[in-house]
Amino acid sequence: MTDDTEPQQFPLPAILTYPSSKTPELITQGAEGRLYKTTYLLPSVPCALKYRPPKPWRHPVLDARLTRHRILSEARVLVKCRREGVAVPAVYAVDEAAGWLALEWVAGAPVRVGVNEWLRRRRDSERAAGRGGDAVVTGDAPGDADLVALMRRIAGALGRMHKVGIVHGDLTTSNMMLRPWGEGRERPANGHAGGQGDGLLEGEIVLIDFGLAGQSTSDEDRAVDLYVLERAFASTHPRAEALFSTVLESAYREAFKQAPIVLKKLEEVRMRGRKRSMLG
Amino acid sequence: MKEPEKAPPAWLETIRLEHVPETHSVHVAVFKDIENAEFLHQQLLGRNADFEYAFIDASSVVSRLQVLSAIFKSITVQLNGAMKTPNIHSEIVSSLSPTKNISEAYRRYGITPTSKNIIVVRVLISPSTLTAEDVEKHLVDNVQGVSRPLDDKTLSGFTDWSKIRKYYKLNGVGWVDALKDVGVKSKEMEMLVLGGMSLRGL
Amino acid sequence: MTKPTNTGGGPLIALGCEGSANKLGIGIISHDPTTGKTAVLANIRHTFVSPPGTGFLPKDTAKHHRTFFARIALAALRAAKVTPSQLACICYTKGPGMGAPLQSVAVAARTLSLLWDRPLVGVNHCVGHIEMGREITGATNPVVLYVSGGNTQVIAYAEQRYRIFGETLDIAVGNCLDRFARTLAISNDPAPGYNIELLARKGGAVLLDLPYAVKGMDCSFSGILGAADILAAQMRAQDKILETEGPGALKEGETRITPEDLCFSLQETVYAMLVEITERAMAHVGSAQVLIVGGVGCNERLQAMMGSMAAERGGSVYATDERFCIDNGIMIAHAGLLAYETGFVTPLAESTCTQRFRTDEMLIKWRDD
Repeated sequence: MTDDTEPQQFPLPAILTYPSSKTPELITQGAEGRLYKTTYLLPSVPCALKYRPPKPWRHPVLDARLTRHRILSEARVLVKCRREGVAVPAVYAVDEAAGWLALEWVAGAPVRVGVNEWLRRRRDSERAAGRGGDAVVTGDAPGDADLVALMRRIAGALGRMHKVGIVHGDLTTSNMMLRPWGEGRERPANGHAGGQGDGLLEGEIVLIDFGLAGQSTSDEDRAVDLYVLERAFASTHPRAEALFSTVLESAYREAFKQAPIVLKKLEEVRMRGRKRSMLG
Repeated sequence: MKEPEKAPPAWLETIRLEHVPETHSVHVAVFKDIENAEFLHQQLLGRNADFEYAFIDASSVVSRLQVLSAIFKSITVQLNGAMKTPNIHSEIVSSLSPTKNISEAYRRYGITPTSKNIIVVRVLISPSTLTAEDVEKHLVDNVQGVSRPLDDKTLSGFTDWSKIRKYYKLNGVGWVDALKDVGVKSKEMEMLVLGGMSLRGL
Repeated sequence: MTKPTNTGGGPLIALGCEGSANKLGIGIISHDPTTGKTAVLANIRHTFVSPPGTGFLPKDTAKHHRTFFARIALAALRAAKVTPSQLACICYTKGPGMGAPLQSVAVAARTLSLLWDRPLVGVNHCVGHIEMGREITGATNPVVLYVSGGNTQVIAYAEQRYRIFGETLDIAVGNCLDRFARTLAISNDPAPGYNIELLARKGGAVLLDLPYAVKGMDCSFSGILGAADILAAQMRAQDKILETEGPGALKEGETRITPEDLCFSLQETVYAMLVEITERAMAHVGSAQVLIVGGVGCNERLQAMMGSMAAERGGSVYATDERFCIDNGIMIAHAGLLAYETGFVTPLAESTCTQRFRTDEMLIKWRDD
């Protein structure tokens, strides 16, 4: 019996076996597939190559059908978001038969990393001041402004995405990047703290990983999107959980006209989530 | 995307694309104010084997990356044995299109008898009897126009934006139009063009 | 509350009663606190089999359990060579399951408890499956796929709960298979799913197109059942045409649908879905072990697919044979005894049963990892 996962050497997709200026770097190995950091066309253009390898246990006909469908669906959703002004990685190239998708590389760190580091520093400074350090973040303290501003930007990004008829399907703070503000890009008027903090939570929200996303304008689907994020947020950043309902909901309302109906649905989804029971 | 300017501009630039096998070499040239578009177009229609090039009408192009992207996709398709057109060069022209309609792609992105500025691409696949020098000489002898480098500055001077907006369905992108920084705006347009090409109406 | 009675450091013995669906099972288990060894002393089961084309109804199933309970209990005691006085507790399935069969077995368990003056331990059926699977296979902390006629869940342990990461949004996978067996009027003996598997092994010439319904770590089977039923109806229409118009009467290029290919396609589709949601949960919690429990877990094709997935992730699959993966009394005895050893008993007044009882409602006090 092997308890530990042996480090695996995965075969590269054929496209990555051809010469390039840098060796492709395996970034993540998820259930969906593998993400490589590589280059597109020129050494100066970094790119994220998402590869869905064949699943040998699946019937080959079914496997090809699913891989093709999912690659195309993800590409379509990203292209649509990009056209409509939702900040997502651009699609460079698609080979649905070979099972890969080449996307714009998004600089910066996931929101999860920024928030956890921010919470850690906050705890350390609380402790240094002789307090417990595990107090929940309410958003009212002056030092909370950066996190509140970040939550507002997240809510804005989600509102914009929902407005254009896309649901993400897997919202977590790992699936949002904080991309350094680019030159020549306007920063949002609100949702931007004004830099009194240490810059940890600065940056533009870029939504990534649309592998489970779809086109939908159903308020139920949108509410489930928010619910998934709420659960993920609570388990990843328990001390900042309270901010979710307060800040995120109000900023989502500002970003999206349909928000009141979605948030009402969210209330139902929450109730169902707690009560969900199955027959034996 | 700003590549260092090649000076002095060569007739023919050889480009090493990432993730393309050694067997494939890519050669590109740009000609401004061509005078024999009709002749070149005729060679294509007559399937003259000596003129196996991708002749792209530069008015339908926004950037260098867009051209390279079409070339890369065609090589990928050729390697997969999944070409939808007669050869890799016609494949490059049709790869520029965001739809599956091949004859429409030739009309919109390929050379026409009235084309003014063109981009020429030649992919040599080894073993090939031809060299880059042969290709360059053939172009010098047969294309009547002013050689220019394949860079964004040159290409942007040729772009017909009304065509681009129509072909890539970019008329409803008010948020891009509202961008103030010209560089950011054209980069964003380029990304939308690449996205459209990548989906080919799928 | 009765305190657990350990008779002087010897092995603890428990009797478990299971009857949440159409299997009545009584098992007797022993845990030796000194060696840490578990021994299965008896594991007797009697299944209510309904005629082809029908499912088991609660009323008839409950009647079956009442009719056979005393006989099976006696057989278990005899096989284990233990007397009631040696038992530490009587364990029974509190839920989830079908109301009437659960109740008839709960009543019987209460009767034994009063008759023999032994404390009762109410057990979550799903936790019974998981604990027995862990015990038999030696999987320490696996992602668990629990698949049966009533349940489809992907479960992983965290902080003294078996947490549900994904589950069916409508019917259970076993229910989907059972109902399709009814559509084809396949025998329910010994189990409809087993007969589907036998037919599927003869199929595979084509993969018929069925919906594939996975949403994150959740999945859905009712649409697949509907589509399979439609294909089965098409097959019968083809039968009729061929019968009246002779061979070659089908349209050019039309696929001749067979029961074998239908079963094959149904299995390939639903098992691929189960493997996919399991893999997603494994990636999520960072585990390479997977344990399959529940009646559908006997399926060899599912086990093979899961094994191939787990191997690619550098891990392995753990599965049990029909004695343990199909509902049984021993798993209830085992999980009940684990709870009993932590001081848990169910007072008579609270010895109810419930159709709805989520896996994550039960505090897993015996694990502290």
